[in-house]
Amino acid sequence: MKTDYKKIERMTPAMRIIHWANAICMIAAIITGLYIAHPYYQSFIADGAVDKYVMAWNRWAHFISAIIFDVTSIVVAYLYFFSRFEKPYKKLIPNAKNVKEFGEVILNLLTLNRRKRFDSTHSDSFNTVYFTIFHLLLFFMLFTGLQLYVHGLESGESSIGTWWPALLHISTDWTIPVTGGTLMDVRIAHHITMWLIVVWMVFHIYYQIWRTIFWEEGDIAIVIGGSKFVKDGK
Amino acid sequence: MAEARDESIKKLFDAKSAKVDTNKGEEYFSDLYESCKVRIGELKDMPIAGRGVDLRKALEDDGFERRDFLKWASATTAMLMLPASFTPLVAEAAEVMNRIPVVWIELSDCAGNSEALLRSDGPKIDEIVLDIISLEFHETLQAAAGHQAEKQLEEALELFKGKYILFVEGAIPLGIDGNFGTIGAKAETFKDHLLRLADGAAAVIAVGACATYGGIPAAAPNPTDAVGVMDLVKGKPIINIPACPANPANMVGVVLHYALTGSVPELDSLLRPKFAFGYRIHDNCERRAHFDAGEYVEEWGDEGAKNNFCLYKMGCKGPMTFNNCSIIRYNEAVNWPIGVGRGCIGCSEPDFWDKYAYERPMANAHIKAPTGGVEKTVDEFGLGLLTAAGIGIGIHAAASAIAGKKNSDEKDV
Ligand code: HEM
Ligand code: HEM
Ligand code: SF4
Ligand code: SF4
Repeated sequence: MKTDYKKIERMTPAMRIIHWANAICMIAAIITGLYIAHPYYQSFIADGAVDKYVMAWNRWAHFISAIIFDVTSIVVAYLYFFSRFEKPYKKLIPNAKNVKEFGEVILNLLTLNRRKRFDSTHSDSFNTVYFTIFHLLLFFMLFTGLQLYVHGLESGESSIGTWWPALLHISTDWTIPVTGGTLMDVRIAHHITMWLIVVWMVFHIYYQIWRTIFWEEGDIAIVIGGSKFVKDGK
Repeated sequence: MAEARDESIKKLFDAKSAKVDTNKGEEYFSDLYESCKVRIGELKDMPIAGRGVDLRKALEDDGFERRDFLKWASATTAMLMLPASFTPLVAEAAEVMNRIPVVWIELSDCAGNSEALLRSDGPKIDEIVLDIISLEFHETLQAAAGHQAEKQLEEALELFKGKYILFVEGAIPLGIDGNFGTIGAKAETFKDHLLRLADGAAAVIAVGACATYGGIPAAAPNPTDAVGVMDLVKGKPIINIPACPANPANMVGVVLHYALTGSVPELDSLLRPKFAFGYRIHDNCERRAHFDAGEYVEEWGDEGAKNNFCLYKMGCKGPMTFNNCSIIRYNEAVNWPIGVGRGCIGCSEPDFWDKYAYERPMANAHIKAPTGGVEKTVDEFGLGLLTAAGIGIGIHAAASAIAGKKNSDEKDV
C-alpha cells in the first residue's frame, strides 16, 4: 500500500541559516560562558603570553557569538510579524482556537502519539509558544550580557564613541533592579538563564527527533531542506 | 498616581552603574574656579568653628614639610577629577576646612572607619586633614562621656544648626521598633537619633558599607532589620562613601569638595561620589594581564600565588566592583587587598557580604534561592534542572519506544 506525500515548505534558506547560526553560537556561548564563569583549564606557565591569552580569547568568542545573536534576534523579531508563512504572532494570541490547538499538541506528546487531532502542516501554537520562550530567554541573555559588558566601559568612552556605552546603559540598566539590585545579581541571572536555555535545547532536539520518528512526516528536514511532508489528502 | 508611576519608571532606567564625565569643557571649569575662589574667601572670613585646629601647625607637629603638603594637594586635585590649575585652591580649601563643623555618630558598627583614620603607622596627610576638621562630636574619640557628652552634642546641634555635616558610621536596626540599638540615658533609638541629627545637618555623609547599605548587620538573615542611611533619611543631600573600611582619602575628598564648592560632588545612582566609585577594580588591577592570559591562582600559596597571578578563581570580585582602591590604594598608597594577594570581596557594593564575599567564583558559591530556602550553587541548580529534564525525556522516550503509536494514519484510540 503506497501512501502519497505532499511536500510543504516551512523554512526559507535565510531562516535555516539563522537557525544554524543560532545553534552554533549557542554552543559557543555556553562553552565560553562556562569558562568565563570558572576557568576550567589552565594555561602553561612556560607558554609565551601571546600564545595563552586564554581568557581574553574566550571572552572574545563569547562576545562575537553575542553580537551574532543580536543581529539574528532582530531578524527573528521581524519574521514574527512579517513571515511569509503563518505569522508567529497570530499563533501567540490566546484565542479559543490556539488554546485548543496548544492543548491538543501537548496531549499528542503525552499520549505518545495515540491522539493527534490537529493540523500538523503548519507551525502549530505549541511550537510557536515554545520557540517564543526561547527568544525571550535569548533576549534576557542579551540584555543581562550587555549590562555585564558595559561595566568595563565605566569611563563612558569606547573605541567607537561615547554613544555606545550610553546606549548600553539606557537599554540594559533595568536589568539591575529586575534581577535583585546588585551587579552580582545580574551575573547570577545571566548564569542561571544559561541553564534554562540548555534545558530548553535538550527538549527541543528531543522533540524534533521524536516528532520525526512518530509523526512520520520528516519534520527534521524542515531545518535542513526547508520542507516537510504530510500525507496527501490532509 | 501618575507621578508615582513616572518615578518608578525613571528608577527602572536610572543608571545604577557609574558613568563618569570628566571633560566638562574650559568654560565650566573657569566658572567653577571663580565660584570656588569666592567660596574659600567666605570661609576664610569665618571664625574657626568650635574645635577646629590649624592645619599648618598640625602638619608641622607631625613633621611634614610644605612640599609634602603641596604634593598631596596635587594628587587630591587629580583624584577629585579637577584640572591641575585647581591645586592651589585645593590646598587653600584644606586649610579652611576647619571652618566646617562636623558631627560624627556611630550606630550598628565596629568603628572600623574611625579606626581606619586612627590606626595607621603614622598619621598620613589625609588623616591629618581630617583631624583638623572641627569635629564637634565623636563618641569614640572625644574625652567627654555620659551626660557631659550628651550636653556637648546638644550644644553643637544648637550652635551649628543647618551648617554641620553629619557623618554616619554603621547601620540602623529597625526591628522591634528600633530597640536593637539605643543611645544615651534616654535610650533614644538609633533611628530617632539619626533622624533628629540629620534634620539639622547641611548634608549627611554615610561612611562604610554598613551606613551605606546596611552592610554586615544587614547580611542574611538580617536579624535586626538593619538598613542604610539612604533608606531612612529623606530630603537631605546624602553622600555614600562605602567600602569596608571607607578609604580616608575619599572621606577627605568629599569634605574638601564641599569646602571648595559648597556643594556635594557628582554622585552615581547609589549616591557614591563618581570621583571615587567611577572606576572598576578589575580595569585598574595590576594582575589583569594574568586574568586575560588565563593564569590563575588555584590555591593559596601555589606557584601562581608566588607569581602574582590573577585571583579570579580564589573568588576575586574585582570584575563587579566599583571603587578606587586599585588606584589610590590604602595608607597613602602603600598597598591594597589584591596587592597583598587576596581577592576583592566587593566591599563597596550593595549586599556585598551575601553576594560578593564568599571567596570563590560566583559559579561555585552557595546562593540562596529566592524563597530563602536551600543553598545551592548556580551550577548545581542548573545541573539539577538538566537532570530532571533528562529523566523526563528518558521516561518519555522509553514509553514511546514500548507503547508509542507510530502510525498516525488511524487517529485516536
Ligand atoms: C543547539 C541549539 C539549537 C537552538 C538554539 C535551536 C533553536 C531553534 C529555534 C529558535 C527554532 C525556531 C525557528 C525560529 O523561530 O526561527 C528552531 C526550529 C527548529 N529546529 Fe532548532 N535549535 C537548535 C538545534 C537544533 C538541532 C540540533 C536540530 C535537529 C535535530 C534542530 C531542529 C529544528 C527543527 C526541525 C526546527 C523547525 C521546527 C518547526 O518549524 O516545526 N534544532 N530551532
Ligand atoms: C547574547 C548576548 C550575550 C552577551 C552580550 C554576553 C556577555 C557576557 C559577559 C560580558 C559576561 C561576563 C564576562 C566577564 O565578566 O568577563 C558573560 C558571562 C557569561 N555568559 Fe554571556 N553573554 C551573552 C549571551 C550569553 C549566552 C547566550 C550564554 C549561554 C547560554 C551566556 C553564558 C554566559 C555565562 C555562563 C557567563 C559566566 C557568568 C558567570 O560569571 O558565572 N552568555 N556574558
Ligand atoms: S585579581 Fe581580581 S581584579 Fe585583578 S584581574 Fe584578577 S579578577 Fe580582576
Ligand atoms: S579590593 Fe575590593 S574588597 Fe578590597 S577594599 Fe577594594 S573594593 Fe573593598
